[in-house]
Amino acid sequence: MSQPEKSYQVNLLRPKKGHMRDEVLIILAILFGWGVCTFGFQLLVYLCQGTGAGSLLTRLTLFNLPLHFWFTGQFLPLWFIVLCVVFNLYVDRITEYHSRRRDKSYE
Amino acid sequence: MNDSSWSIFVVLLVLASFIVVGLRQKSRESQEYGFGGRYTGRIGGGAAIASNWMSAASLMGLAGIIYLQGYQGLAYVIGWTGGYVLLLVLLASQIRRFGKFTAPEFVGERYGSQAARAIAAAISIAISIIYCVAQFKGIGLIFSFMFGIDYQQGVTYGALAVVSYLVISGMLGVPRNQQLQYLVISVSFIVPLMWLARKLGYFWLLPQFGYGRALTDLSRQFNIDFTLPFAGGSLYQWCALCFTLMVGTAGLPHVLSRFYTVPNVRDARWSVVWGLFFIALIYWSAPAFSVFGRLLEARSGLIPDPAAARAAADVIALKTAVWAGLPGWLVGVLAAGALSAAFFTVAGLLMTGAASISHDIYYSMVNRSASETARMQVAKGGTLVLAAIVLLLALDPPGLIAEITAVAFALAGNTIFPLFLLGIWWGRANRYGAIAGMLTGIVCTAIAPLCGGIFPQLALLFPVTSSALLGAPLVIAVMIAVSLLTPAPPEEMGHFLEKEVHGHLD
Repeated sequence: MSQPEKSYQVNLLRPKKGHMRDEVLIILAILFGWGVCTFGFQLLVYLCQGTGAGSLLTRLTLFNLPLHFWFTGQFLPLWFIVLCVVFNLYVDRITEYHSRRRDKSYE
Repeated sequence: MNDSSWSIFVVLLVLASFIVVGLRQKSRESQEYGFGGRYTGRIGGGAAIASNWMSAASLMGLAGIIYLQGYQGLAYVIGWTGGYVLLLVLLASQIRRFGKFTAPEFVGERYGSQAARAIAAAISIAISIIYCVAQFKGIGLIFSFMFGIDYQQGVTYGALAVVSYLVISGMLGVPRNQQLQYLVISVSFIVPLMWLARKLGYFWLLPQFGYGRALTDLSRQFNIDFTLPFAGGSLYQWCALCFTLMVGTAGLPHVLSRFYTVPNVRDARWSVVWGLFFIALIYWSAPAFSVFGRLLEARSGLIPDPAAARAAADVIALKTAVWAGLPGWLVGVLAAGALSAAFFTVAGLLMTGAASISHDIYYSMVNRSASETARMQVAKGGTLVLAAIVLLLALDPPGLIAEITAVAFALAGNTIFPLFLLGIWWGRANRYGAIAGMLTGIVCTAIAPLCGGIFPQLALLFPVTSSALLGAPLVIAVMIAVSLLTPAPPEEMGHFLEKEVHGHLD
């Protein structure tokens, strides 16, 4: 159906139309959630040290763990699992959509 | 029986039962086994990923590094779980569609160069050796703990035991039952932890949460603040270590090859999620051992000096169990779990390393007309040579288990990961870029130990355990620059990438 452009060269930042573009969009979205929560949170903890917000982060407790320790040690691994589940559900959906468009049975 | 003979008994029982169960399964359903074991669905695939991943670093090193460094040590927990996100979203399905699963094969095929393939093989072997040194240290420590001998003796006996285990299971042709391995390893880690929490009077049903109270007690009663962020290291060190472990996970050769066993891409993706969950179960538990260990130390009034703490760190889980007065057989269970994890990791790595020597170096480069038997012999000899090299290095281990392992991750993250990433996602990457990238990656990894004394600034930017935060982007930049300055890769490869790897639904 779609006319493949002869000159297309695979590039993460310039995906071709169709399945690949959808896939790259979800990949970038997941990587954003991955990076912000992992490194962004550490930066936040670092910047808040010694301030009121910082003592809030280290004094508030959840399951008896200081909030920052709980977030890094327990929530982040869980968050990674959530990200992977979201990614898989979304990719399942776009795969199904594009296979149907191609009128071919699901892999 | 006294405690240590109980431990030895339990350890022997577990290792022997793996052989017996494996053999029974083999005789029952020998034709169903494929490359890496029977297909058991997404959950089974996940358990296989997790058991393939679990090693002495997860079961001993992690608790040790958190015991020593507190919050700083959590970078290991995050790095070793977050890497699976990278692996899943960037590489898993594409590598599966590409159809090459070992790093040297992928590099040789994608970049069409024997030289690049040989370098990739050498890097994979180096990664296996470094990784195995950490495992041998773990095995040696457990042996010296169980038999009450010194470390050097322990690691030598441990090496003999691993090699005999390899030879016996190889001769009998025992298949690896990774689902069973995961079950045994995780139960033997978590049940002693529950017992420990109960004995100390904390919430034991979910000790992963129960240790919070112990943390509070530690800071209220003994004034030890375990959780202070960036107390033992800077923000840069934390993030560099975490990032290095993440890209290393996504580039580690024996992790990538896991996508063999699952019949389709969709199940491969979902088994990664299950694998990550099974791994997280262990990683949520490891800090509890560290906290309980610190608490018991504080209660007994013996606060060890830094050197003694460092020496005890890698066996802190076992020591904590002994301090708390857990029954001897249960300490044996804990030791057996860690020991089998180290055993299976070493077995897998030595065999893939030797296969790489035989296939990627001997057969592809030295002797193209080598017979099947000759290649087998090279592989068998290679296993022994690798084991001997690892033993020599492990006799005087350069750091903690987690730290040694991290160096292997740094090397993988600086070399294999960029090669896979650009190989899959950028059609223009060519062999010259690949070779230049790998060489840059090796330099980035080795710069701190080699030139750190002369240029201390470089050692700060590229710490030996965490060189990939700057290293991996640098390697990617070098690969892009060199690829653009040299001729484009063959048309067919670009076509294959577009049609097969990224165009399967066009």
